[in-house]
Amino acid sequence: MLKFLLIFVTCLMVLFTVELLNPVQAAVIQPFTAVLAWISASIILPLDDTVISSGRVLRDSASGFAVSIEAGCNGVEASIVLIAGVLAFPATWLQRATAIILGFIAIQLLNILRIISLFYLGQWNYEIFEWTHLYLWPVLIMLDVLLVFALYLRWLSQPDLSPQHA
Amino acid sequence: MRDIALRQQVLTTLLLLAITFALWVAAEPLLTTPAKWLAHALLTGWLPEIIETTIFEPGAFLVVTKFTDINGIVSLAAPGEDGLAFRLDTRLVSYGLPFYAALLWGSRIANPFNTFAVGLFLIWLTMALGLIAMTAKDLMLVIGYPFLTADWVPPAAVLVVSYQFSVLLMPTLAPVLIWIFQLKGSPLWHRLEGQLEKPRNKG
Repeated sequence: MLKFLLIFVTCLMVLFTVELLNPVQAAVIQPFTAVLAWISASIILPLDDTVISSGRVLRDSASGFAVSIEAGCNGVEASIVLIAGVLAFPATWLQRATAIILGFIAIQLLNILRIISLFYLGQWNYEIFEWTHLYLWPVLIMLDVLLVFALYLRWLSQPDLSPQHA
Repeated sequence: MRDIALRQQVLTTLLLLAITFALWVAAEPLLTTPAKWLAHALLTGWLPEIIETTIFEPGAFLVVTKFTDINGIVSLAAPGEDGLAFRLDTRLVSYGLPFYAALLWGSRIANPFNTFAVGLFLIWLTMALGLIAMTAKDLMLVIGYPFLTADWVPPAAVLVVSYQFSVLLMPTLAPVLIWIFQLKGSPLWHRLEGQLEKPRNKG
């Protein structure tokens, strides 16, 4: 358990610091966040044709309300926690890669739901928007990470998937 | 049995979140006071030449500095002169508390009250560290050079990473880590322990 914790904390700190570097932000994080805004707008558009996305901003052309997806809102930090957990746990690299890819998708699916819900909550009631944005959604996203990791452990515990067989 | 433990944990946690968040909203000033005491003690001990005092407000932690701003120039305040102050939103670091409570009370563990008390102390510690990181970030932006050149102040890059880590990750990560270490003996722990041991035994 101590070994797991040491590797987990090391991976977490390294990945988190790398994510904050300006070149990484410019080349990876910002474009990725813009893609998230575009996907969110694409999901909403068939139901609401007043929404437009521009870079990291999601805007309602009718009300003028807009949300900008910033650090902490793009699910990257939550994904880093998951990646650190997966890397720290004994498994083959194929199993780790599978867990990271599927886990990342699971986190981002919930994150897109977060972005869309916040976009509408903000137009309805700003106080509730602030509250859910700052306090409730981060908890739900971390719960998602926890659930994904627990499911990964369950998957690993299947007899035919233990590391030495790969 | 193993599926039941996980499902039960997730569902109970989700249900309890509604209750614990409601309690947190109602009692946040009271629940964060120990963390504010600790942050006050650590900040005034760490930066006696920079920080005059701190003031506890509902949902906020006000940091009063020994500096003043005259026409954009920051300098030491004269005796009796009001120092620059900034207000920190304590809820940004305290919302992990209802999360931790929901996780813990959603687990079937022995001695839940004792365990919760220990966890609460650890959460207060992480909250205090979060307040210190937020203060350091604001001191860096508001006071600037006198703060960055003071004794025992780490480089600006470290302060930035500490701030981001304290605000973006710690409030949700700390409750999970504390909870996992306190799970020992619970049905969910037995399941996780079995999975932790499995690859090691076979490897």
